[in-house]
Amino acid sequence: MHDVLVIGGGIVGQVTAIKLAETGARVVIVDAAQNSGSTANAGSLHVQMQSRFMRLYPDQVRNIEASLPFYVAAVQEWGLLDQKYGSFELVRKGGLMLAEDEGQMAFLEKKMEREARHGVSVELLDRSALDRIAPWLGPQIIGAELCRDEGKLNPLAANKRLRAAAETLGIEHRTDQILRLESLPDSVEAIGLQGRYRADRMVVAAAWGAGALTHDLGVTIPSRAEPLHMNITEACETQINHLVQHAERSITLKQFATGQIVIGGGWAARDRGRYEIPAVDHASILGNVALAAQLVPSISGIRVIRTWAGMNTTADGASIIGPLPGHARVVMAVPGDAGYTLGPLVAGLAVDCVQGSGLAAEALSFSPARFAA
Amino acid sequence: MQMPDPSFTFDGTPIPIKPGASVAAALTDQGHRAFRQSANGNARGIFCGMGVCQDCLVTIDGVPNRRACMSAARDGAKVETQVAFPSLKGAVVAPPPEAARILEPDVAIIGGGAGGLAAAIAARRAGASVVVLDERKVPGGQYYKQSTGLPPIDRQQQEGAELFREALDSGAEIIGSVEVWGAFDGPLFIADLEGRALVVRPRTAIIATGAYERPTVAPGWTLPGVMTTGAAQTLWRSYRTLPGRRIAVCGSGPLNAQVALELADGGAEVSVVAEAAAAPWHHPLAGLRATLLDPGLVRKGLGMLQGLRRHGIPMAYNTRLHRIEEADGALRMVLRDQRGNETSSIVDAICMNIGFEPQNEILRLLGADMAYDKTFGHLRCSRDEGMQTSIPCLYAVGDCTGLGGAPAARLEGEIAGKTAAAQLGCGDAYDLFAQKRSLKRHRLFQKALWQMYDVAPYSLSNMPSETIICRCEEITLGQITEGLSAATGHVGTLKRATRVGMGRCQGRYCGPISTRLVAAATDKPVDDRSHFAPRVPIKPVSIASILAAQEALNESA
Repeated sequence: MHDVLVIGGGIVGQVTAIKLAETGARVVIVDAAQNSGSTANAGSLHVQMQSRFMRLYPDQVRNIEASLPFYVAAVQEWGLLDQKYGSFELVRKGGLMLAEDEGQMAFLEKKMEREARHGVSVELLDRSALDRIAPWLGPQIIGAELCRDEGKLNPLAANKRLRAAAETLGIEHRTDQILRLESLPDSVEAIGLQGRYRADRMVVAAAWGAGALTHDLGVTIPSRAEPLHMNITEACETQINHLVQHAERSITLKQFATGQIVIGGGWAARDRGRYEIPAVDHASILGNVALAAQLVPSISGIRVIRTWAGMNTTADGASIIGPLPGHARVVMAVPGDAGYTLGPLVAGLAVDCVQGSGLAAEALSFSPARFAA
Repeated sequence: MQMPDPSFTFDGTPIPIKPGASVAAALTDQGHRAFRQSANGNARGIFCGMGVCQDCLVTIDGVPNRRACMSAARDGAKVETQVAFPSLKGAVVAPPPEAARILEPDVAIIGGGAGGLAAAIAARRAGASVVVLDERKVPGGQYYKQSTGLPPIDRQQQEGAELFREALDSGAEIIGSVEVWGAFDGPLFIADLEGRALVVRPRTAIIATGAYERPTVAPGWTLPGVMTTGAAQTLWRSYRTLPGRRIAVCGSGPLNAQVALELADGGAEVSVVAEAAAAPWHHPLAGLRATLLDPGLVRKGLGMLQGLRRHGIPMAYNTRLHRIEEADGALRMVLRDQRGNETSSIVDAICMNIGFEPQNEILRLLGADMAYDKTFGHLRCSRDEGMQTSIPCLYAVGDCTGLGGAPAARLEGEIAGKTAAAQLGCGDAYDLFAQKRSLKRHRLFQKALWQMYDVAPYSLSNMPSETIICRCEEITLGQITEGLSAATGHVGTLKRATRVGMGRCQGRYCGPISTRLVAAATDKPVDDRSHFAPRVPIKPVSIASILAAQEALNESA
């Protein structure tokens, strides 16, 4: 029997397993290898509140705002991981949220004040200040909010290096789809399509799949898969250092160390069920890329070479971390919005719970107790 | 400096332009083989000659990453070696001068080769409105290989010219230089027409996108001067350009001997044609069957072998490419026969072809059912008797459905064109017995023909680990093997772990190889789902062109 069974081998599951194995625990990861968000992630390290999220889920903005210090801490956690296991091609040059009119500037100013109150390093820039750091922006951009805490990394490199670290630590990886969980008096068991997995404790790092797993244990977590679309160009000279977003429209744009530009930001892909990868819709590639071309006109001559779609996870905006009510051996580890950014931090908090030190005081509001009937 | 007229400059050197020449042909004519620098600093040049491999990229008038093989040479243009990381400053493209076009024909045909043109004629004659979209300036496809401005070189090219003329006369609208980069449910096709956006919403689509060549992967296969046999044939047939003075050909299949002879007739010194299979007389039954089914084609094949003998070009049977090395501005090709004996020759260009890969991207994107064909090592698209795929109103003809050859493609085109039109209420599809009978015969002929060659996937296990498998990302066999041990499961996992298939050609050469390696490592059979997921854009597309398409669709909404 293993000490800890981790369900889900994405960024949260992998880092959870590594942290536990480093303290000597025998850990097994069971991953369904179906539409994992981490393998499709585009590597933005988000800190400032995303205008897209505020627009789509206004009722969840309070949760996000309260979580702001965690985003700052999460990026710092990424920095530590990068030093230990990298390189993940991590760059922390900050993120720009662009405004095209006075209304958008006013929105950013208000947002900035709220973020500053939670310890985020933010500043409002006018066009002349922007010209010094981002001269490639389109002429219609009048200003931007700069968030110094933001950055980017290459998730392919991060996933690969963390997986290698996990292998070195002797963490076992199994591919199986877990169907249900059983909480026994002295252990926990997960029943999968291929087999049954028993352990002393369990971490549910199953992102959008978490809700279905915990339902039978009496806790209804509203986790949902939200398929999102992304684009990548061929390589060009590195010029774009910042993570670029917009005050009103859905976009993230950044340049990888390979010279390639990644364009995403929450445009929808089409869900085809958990056994199929999501389909790319024409409206998303057209709308997403056209918007990028308007904001950064100098990319118009380079070519998009690939698009893909991956699952983002949404629940109520905040992370879900800690023991499941009534099932102390089952620890939840599901990040809130921008799950890849939050992943390592969430993993660390979940590890505290597995090791018995309980959920950190400042994270108590993330407890799954809020979903218990 | 006296500039020849007409001409362009390549890194400042004047390059004369023959009528209708592509940039690649004009550069090759002047002995230039290296067109771009890879990210690792390696030189690359023309390889596929048909817009697939993305290796012949050059900067034209400041715009980076233009395919030299698909770009017409223009008088006064400034062409430069493509650097790996072009500056964004030079990449700003002016919006296209003309508005986007939105077309809504009864039948849209993607690909203007033998199958596509035959389908167009049949559908149009039945009364349907027809639009044909083709990648090349002049349609005809890879079999008929048309040229601009030059008279037909032989019967094959003449036949293509006649078919093209017939399609034009039928009243079908045929648009060249169109890169279809998007295929979506509907169907909805989005394409680039020299920077201008083209949106096509047909009632029915016939996919006739043909095939591209499978190379003989070996150390050195990415060196400039090494190209597919079809690329060399295009240089000669479409542009009357020889890929080099001294040439060697390797792989398997009838195209190699044909092109060797054409190049020799054109004045090249062909040192050898290496054929992986045994000589045809070692397959007497298959030979007899082929002769009975199509005596004309067999006679043509024998004539080619005779032609090679006349030129003194040896056919080396049971012989494969072992490696290619640079040798004083030329290439040393090392061949190895089944006994392990090595022979080498010094040449300027090496042509390779060992079978074909269907260009089935649109079919896979739209979800048409596929099955893996072990003999050819590629997917075959399932179709009914009328060439309709598993997706309603989506037809497919020719080599994009699995290798079948041009005569079969033409018959399938006729059948699909007529059936698709009938389905739309134009004419009927009753009288197709003759075509179906001929098609059956052609398919039997193909079966017999390929038994005499060896195009089944071959093992890479004896190849040095530093052999490049993914041309674009420069990923070696060793890296892939390492990735296989760390990331098992699916080729998509291997891709994320190693970057294999992440480059501009979108895995067209390394994809089939990686898929088979993963299948072998996981002990699973190959099927449609074991390949890279189909994704738009089908070919790399400029952001300016996407912007133009978006504006056009917004206005029409």
